[in-house]
Amino acid sequence: MNTAKTKYIKLRITVVGIFFAICLASIGAKAGYLQIYQSSWLAKKAADQYERPFKESGKRGTIYDANLREMAVSINITSIAAYPPRILNKNAAAKAVAKALGMDTNLLKRKLFSNKPFVWIKRQATPNEVYSVKSLNLEGLGFLSEHSRFYPQKTLAAQTIGFTGMDGNGLEGIEFYYDTQLKGSDREFIVLKDALGHGFNSEKTPEADYSGSNLVLTIDQAIQYITEKALQEAVADNSAKSGIAIIMAPRTGAILAMAHYPLLNPNSYEKFDKHLWRNRAITDPFEPGSTMKIFTVAAAIEHGNSTPNTIFYCENGEYKIGKDIIHDTHPHGWLSLEDIVKYSSNIGAYKIGKKTGSEALYRTLKDFGFGDKTGINCPGETQGTLLPYKKWSAIDAGAISFGQGISASPLQIISAVSAIANDGVLMKPFIVQAILDQRGRTVKRFEPAPVRQAITSETADAVKKILMTVVTKDGTGFNAALEGYTVCGKTGTAQKINEKGEYAKGKYISSFVGFAPVENPEIAVLVILDEPMKNHYGGVVAAPAFSKIAQETLTYLNVPPKNRKTDRLTVSKPLEKNKVVI
Amino acid sequence: MVLFISELFIYTWCRVQCVKTGYEISKETDNNLKLITLQKNLKIEIARLKAPRRITKIATQQLGLIMPKSEQVIIIP
Repeated sequence: MNTAKTKYIKLRITVVGIFFAICLASIGAKAGYLQIYQSSWLAKKAADQYERPFKESGKRGTIYDANLREMAVSINITSIAAYPPRILNKNAAAKAVAKALGMDTNLLKRKLFSNKPFVWIKRQATPNEVYSVKSLNLEGLGFLSEHSRFYPQKTLAAQTIGFTGMDGNGLEGIEFYYDTQLKGSDREFIVLKDALGHGFNSEKTPEADYSGSNLVLTIDQAIQYITEKALQEAVADNSAKSGIAIIMAPRTGAILAMAHYPLLNPNSYEKFDKHLWRNRAITDPFEPGSTMKIFTVAAAIEHGNSTPNTIFYCENGEYKIGKDIIHDTHPHGWLSLEDIVKYSSNIGAYKIGKKTGSEALYRTLKDFGFGDKTGINCPGETQGTLLPYKKWSAIDAGAISFGQGISASPLQIISAVSAIANDGVLMKPFIVQAILDQRGRTVKRFEPAPVRQAITSETADAVKKILMTVVTKDGTGFNAALEGYTVCGKTGTAQKINEKGEYAKGKYISSFVGFAPVENPEIAVLVILDEPMKNHYGGVVAAPAFSKIAQETLTYLNVPPKNRKTDRLTVSKPLEKNKVVI
Repeated sequence: MVLFISELFIYTWCRVQCVKTGYEISKETDNNLKLITLQKNLKIEIARLKAPRRITKIATQQLGLIMPKSEQVIIIP
């Protein structure tokens, strides 16, 4: 019995043992299967429960002026969004949020009652707005961090720098032209989350590693401000429609200032007319008028047809060519080439042009860059209009000589005048001098680039001497004279062309272009006023603005004045108390 | 058995320390980001305060300064 019972127990143990062995083997097999064949899938599934992926766009690079002062920066800003399916009482939520943000309740209701899983409530909200909405403690609202562009100098060089849209893409100006370089890259990173879903121990890389590149402009904030202020005053004083002013360093082609009036605030560009958005100094061509006489005399001297003393009969102020009549502002008889520029005689310029010949005039103008883009690093540049000389009509060579039948951008004109200041060497204008990486290391540097020798240095010297007479007491540009500095310049008054292609009565573009000091030109300045109402002569309207800009800029640049009366710092108005010179 | 239980406790302690350190790192990273943001905002504020338009306004209206004439300027070599 005992033996039989023992056997039975052994059998039961064996059966149970086999059963457990099978179970363990099954578990082992399953474990082996999971660990060997399913491990990657399971690891991913587990990671999904404690890892949260994040996607973030890098910050847009900063735009600096020539002295590394911020002109355009990116700031962190919060946008308010909603997840409509997660909002329980949409009516109450819409009412409360609309009140906090000062928005239309119905508009907000339409958004919250939409079938979309995600809607924007307010992009780039102010800190106060974010605080107000957060205080409501509503379910289903999201506060997302975004980058927004901010221009701390507000209107300063606004059309030149341009601006970005809501999504951070460059829309105008340098922001548009260098969008690829300025834009930050997108990057993803993992954040570990705990049982409550709170993130911790993120694998974030430093922000600088995925930010966009920075740009350093040739523009100097102080010079830009001097230019904008003088331009604004000139537009107001002459009741003009608008104005443009450019300052260029003749030896390098660097743009020191590029100003427009009316002003534009890129922080709220959508509130301004679209025609104020673009950089008209580069994009808009116009008939230059008498400033073109500079290049006419340069062509005449360069090609050996005339000297500064060659005389021309100026027909006492009226000259009929076929059906057309050319007028001078004041009647003149015989004038030398120098005096033709000094008194800005159209008839004289016409005769110089005819004597020089179409081909020679055309080639000189081409060498000065007219009819071609300058290649500046800004978008939307116009090449202006200069027809090939073979297509010129009988009157064209003469008309082009005094600035009609040709169009050029303000940039082309100042580049060409700078070539005269630079001993005949035309430089490529540039406005961005360097691209820096996120850590401030130079990625690319833009060096001054000579384009060609437009005229010989001897011709340039002769033209300089002629242009100096324009700013003498009886010259048309006397108002452009500077205290302590010698000036070369030329006035320009061009009648505007209307939509029908005819010259519009009483609508003028007045300009003055010049450079100083003559012996060692540091700056070339161009001032253009569109439709001045009080007076339309460039010498009356634009020359005073030139003088103001050039005087203050040369002082700012520490250019020593000639014929200094005193070397002592004195108070300008000694009788007034508390007045100290800056 | 004692060894097994000890190992269990040590492992648990390590995990707790790891999580705790993770939270501390997150907190310090957030602080760092906040300070960087503050620094950037201060830089922007400096840029705004140093704007030529603002400086000129203060110089002319509050301090009564004027632009010097060319003969009044001394250039220090």
